[in-house]
Amino acid sequence: MGDDWSRRTLLRRGGALGLASMLPPTVLAACSNDRPAARGSSTTSTPVAIAAAARDAPLGLWSDAPRTLTEHEFKVIEEATARLIPGPTDDPAEADSPGAREANVTRYIDTLLSALTLKVPTVFAGGPASNRAGADTDDMATAVPLTTVQHGAWVDRLTKVRQQYTDGVLALDTAAGGSFADATPDAKDAALVTNPGDFTTLLFAHAIEGMYSAPEYGGNADGVGWKSISFPGDSQPSGYTAAQVKDSDGPDVYVRAGIGDKLLDLLESTAVK
Amino acid sequence: MGKKAIVIGSGPGGSTAAMVLAKAGYDVVILEKGPNMFGDLKSRTPSTRFSNDELKRLRHFSEADPDAEPRTFRRDPATEEPLVTGAVQSLPQTVGGGAVHWDAKTPRFWDIDFKKRSLLGPIDGASIEDWPFEYSEIAPFYDEVERLIGVAGNVDDLPELVNRHAPRSGPLPMPAGGHQHSSLLLAKGATDMGLHPYVVPMAINSQPYQDRPACNDCGFCSGYGCPTHARIGALAPLREALLDGAEIREKATVLQIAHDGSKASGVTWVDDAGKEHTEQADVIVLGANAIESSRLALLSRLPDPHEQIGRNMMFHWYTQGTAVFLSERVHSYRGRAYTHCVDDFADPDFPGARAAARAAGLPYFRGGICELGGSQMPIDEGRLYQQLLGFIAPEKPFGTAFKELMRASLLRDRLAGVDLIGEDLPYGFNRVDLDPKVKDVRGQAVARITYTAGDHEVAAQAFYLPKLAAALKASGADVAFAVPQLSTDRFPIAASDAPQTKHILGGMRMGSDPTTSVTDDVGRFHGLDNLYVADGSAFTSGGAHNPTLTIMATALRNVRRWA
Repeated sequence: MGDDWSRRTLLRRGGALGLASMLPPTVLAACSNDRPAARGSSTTSTPVAIAAAARDAPLGLWSDAPRTLTEHEFKVIEEATARLIPGPTDDPAEADSPGAREANVTRYIDTLLSALTLKVPTVFAGGPASNRAGADTDDMATAVPLTTVQHGAWVDRLTKVRQQYTDGVLALDTAAGGSFADATPDAKDAALVTNPGDFTTLLFAHAIEGMYSAPEYGGNADGVGWKSISFPGDSQPSGYTAAQVKDSDGPDVYVRAGIGDKLLDLLESTAVK
Repeated sequence: MGKKAIVIGSGPGGSTAAMVLAKAGYDVVILEKGPNMFGDLKSRTPSTRFSNDELKRLRHFSEADPDAEPRTFRRDPATEEPLVTGAVQSLPQTVGGGAVHWDAKTPRFWDIDFKKRSLLGPIDGASIEDWPFEYSEIAPFYDEVERLIGVAGNVDDLPELVNRHAPRSGPLPMPAGGHQHSSLLLAKGATDMGLHPYVVPMAINSQPYQDRPACNDCGFCSGYGCPTHARIGALAPLREALLDGAEIREKATVLQIAHDGSKASGVTWVDDAGKEHTEQADVIVLGANAIESSRLALLSRLPDPHEQIGRNMMFHWYTQGTAVFLSERVHSYRGRAYTHCVDDFADPDFPGARAAARAAGLPYFRGGICELGGSQMPIDEGRLYQQLLGFIAPEKPFGTAFKELMRASLLRDRLAGVDLIGEDLPYGFNRVDLDPKVKDVRGQAVARITYTAGDHEVAAQAFYLPKLAAALKASGADVAFAVPQLSTDRFPIAASDAPQTKHILGGMRMGSDPTTSVTDDVGRFHGLDNLYVADGSAFTSGGAHNPTLTIMATALRNVRRWA
């Protein structure tokens, strides 16, 4: 990691390390650009995904039937995200750990692409609490209306993202020799590694969102994404006790090996001494 | 009928100004650009749409959408091409403003901040001045704001250094709340290094206060609106204003301030449907935050004979520390972002600092407060691994490797982070002006931020970086290091292109000399009799501590003087 470009890029990626929760990132994964382009006042777009008639939101922000993705696109994305974040049926190493398939990540992506088709767009889940931590009702299942300016920005953003999915699925099929969904696991991985049109980057970012965001957004089904990383998710209205906040949970030793070891090596070698 | 006042912005500064004006009998209208995510704002506990939702935050729920209302950033004033276009130092754009996303740490500025030139002296290239008032004058206003928003802390337990530079006249309204495990771990390391960590005063209820509940440590604190109102912030003065007759209009974007001669006469604003309105007023108060207030002043072509509007912008100069624990999960996702701080690095007389400053050709320098123990949430963590896998597993940067990293959680559940909030001196070259090309969704020029660190910031960072890393190491962390947040010639490789701090200050600073300041000793524009600022743009210098309490205390002091 001696060369400056690599170190610079790495450190920039790691920019959240010290600040963590204090800094909302400057990048919206929906666009997956390091430097989102200014939209300004000049852009007018046709909302591809907007249905002719606005529909009422169902309970939760999602529906089980795809709203925007075609059946073929749904299948390709389901198979691709299962390679990116594999579960028990995708990789023997994940026998006990649900992945994108089990978390319904593809439904999350379809919900994102369909967000503006509902009377109240499903961009922002509501509040102050879900019913996962002691509340009787799930306030998060009722979306928050957008301002006119927000709505315009999301029309443009989702129009662009929809096109990226259309192009990306085609590119994955091509890279896998015609049919991504029918390819062998190794061939799928090889196609994803080529990152055609940066589509793997976008898909992975969305898969991460679908794994670890609140279930109201369509992914993280039954909280399996959170359970797989021992994260309790939203905690209101219960919160935590003073002892849970202050005390150690006890020893939980991570033995430095494998990919984690490589990660720590990289961080140690990169830091300014 | 009383005099009419328009307040632009409902954040900590604007809401405080509105409260004072409404109590003084003004007919107050508050124009807030963002939406209201609360119910009845006259209630102490209005309903709220904020929640424990990381994705909502990442989708800019409480901020301007960066595509519709971007900013640009450049380091080099000679170049037209921005380094960044989009979200640059966004503060919340919603009712409650910056007090929506804050984790409500409320240290006071020190006595030496307010008399910086007199007590510490000038520094070549920087425009260091005294504030129009001293610590002793603002102290009672600090007391009042601390009661208003409910600050918890134990004054007697604060380090001698803190109580010497920012003495309090009595106890805070509430005792300090509980401690966070990750903060305790880092505090122990700091103590072992001879530093003086302490539980920082914070405007978060440690017990029920004014009919609002005690904090239940949900963990979604910094960056998130509080779902329980244990952290009330600007909604406290806003409620007072509304109870005294003020009106608030949400989704009301001010486009221009009309002025003629020495008078501002009113504003033009546009509502959510795009309809334009003009509204007259006897007085106008800018409280839109340092960047947006400066931008609005420039868009309105306010009198600026010495080209001072937007200059002397100050961004707290961040250095980031990372400590990773392999023996346990330190669960920073529970609690109030962090509970402990260290102030030693804010002392210009920290052992060795004067000598290091002299060696760098400076009379002195300061670092700033260190926040001990923060971390990040799972989506941010996952995104980070996504990027890092490109380096450590380029042959297949996804799959089981990713999941192993998420399970191990080296950079979330085993991480305790530090932000060193270094003082950033005022320099004329650090400024906000209007971008010559990029427009927002309304067709108005966006704020262009031009910023680079001065010698003071870089020298202080070089001195404190290894000390911070050593303190992290002393905490027992298995991996510990510190990195600059922003690139400089000294440290060309850093975490970010643009400053990441939300502590944006200056641009229309107070002073007696119109050639080096924009507003007078109460925040009134030089040359305009009835136009005032009440946000961080009025700061004469930036201090070495979290600024919101000082924004509110300054607004209280200033507006009381003229209202």
